[in-house]
Amino acid sequence: MDPTLQEIYSLVLKQWPLVAGAYSILWVALIVYIGMIMARLGRLEKEIQVLSEAVERRG
Amino acid sequence: MKNRVTGVLLVLGGVLTTVSFIVAFFVAGVPDFGTVTVANEVQTERSLIEIAAEGFKYGRPDWGQKIFYFHVPVALSSFLVFIFTAYYGARFLLSKNREFDTKARIATEVTLVFVVLTMITGVLWTKAAWDVWWEWEPRLTTYFIMTLLVIAYFVLRNSIDDEERRATYAAAFGILAFVDAPISFAITRLIPSTHPVIERGGLETPMLLSFLCGLFGMLMIGYAVYQVRVREEMLKERLESLKASLEG
Repeated sequence: MDPTLQEIYSLVLKQWPLVAGAYSILWVALIVYIGMIMARLGRLEKEIQVLSEAVERRG
Repeated sequence: MKNRVTGVLLVLGGVLTTVSFIVAFFVAGVPDFGTVTVANEVQTERSLIEIAAEGFKYGRPDWGQKIFYFHVPVALSSFLVFIFTAYYGARFLLSKNREFDTKARIATEVTLVFVVLTMITGVLWTKAAWDVWWEWEPRLTTYFIMTLLVIAYFVLRNSIDDEERRATYAAAFGILAFVDAPISFAITRLIPSTHPVIERGGLETPMLLSFLCGLFGMLMIGYAVYQVRVREEMLKERLESLKASLEG
C-alpha cells in the first residue's frame, strides 16, 4: 500500500474507535438512565392511580 | 406546568445535542496537530522535485478533538448539578427540612452520572490526544478527587442508619465536596497545565455552534433529569402515604 495512505489510515483508525466509543457510551448511558427513570415514573403513576381509587372507594 | 417545562427541556436538550453531534461531524472541520512527513519512496503524482525539496507533508488529523463537543458540556453540567448538592445541603442545615436533604441527594446522584460520563469521555480523549490513558496533571487530578468525593457522599450516607444524622453529615459533606468543583474548573487557568483551555475566539464558527448547542443541550438534559428524579421521589412519598392511609 502507498505509505502515505497507510500512514493516514493508521492515524484515522487509531483515533476513530476512541471517538466512536466516547459518543456511543455517552448516548447509550444517558438514554438508558433517562429511560429507567421514565419507566419507574410510569409505574409509580399507575400505582398511585390504583391506590387513589381504592382510597376513594373506601372513603 | 412544571412537569411540562421539564419535558420540553428534556426534548429540547435532546434536539440540541443531536444538532451539536451533526454539526460536529458533518460541518465542523477536523483540526490538525502538527504535520506528518513521509520523506521518500512515495508513489504520487506530485513532481519528484517538489517532494524532494521538503518531503511529503500533510496535516496530522486530530479526530480525537471531536470528543470535545460532548466531553466539555457533560463536565460543565456535572459542575452545575453539583451546585444543587451544596445549595440544598446548606438549606437543610439551616432548616432541617427533609425535602432539602432529598433534593441534595438526587442532585448528587445526577452529578455522579455526569461525572462518570465526563471521566469516560475524558479518558478516551486523553488516549486519542496524548496517547496515554491517564496523566496526573492538575485538571485531571482535581476532577478525579471530585469523582471520589461524589462517591464518598453515598458511602457516607449508606454508613449511617439514623436519618437525622445521615442527612446532617451528608449536607455538610456535600458542601465541603463542592469546594473542589470551582477549583477543578479554574485550575487550568491558575497553574501550568497541559489540559486544553477554550480561549475567546479560539473556535471557528461551526465548531463554536456545535459546542454551544452541545453545552446548552446538556445543561437542559442535566436540569430536566434532576427535576424528573425529584418528581419520582415525591411520587414515592405520596405512594407511601396512600399505602399508610389504606392500611390505617
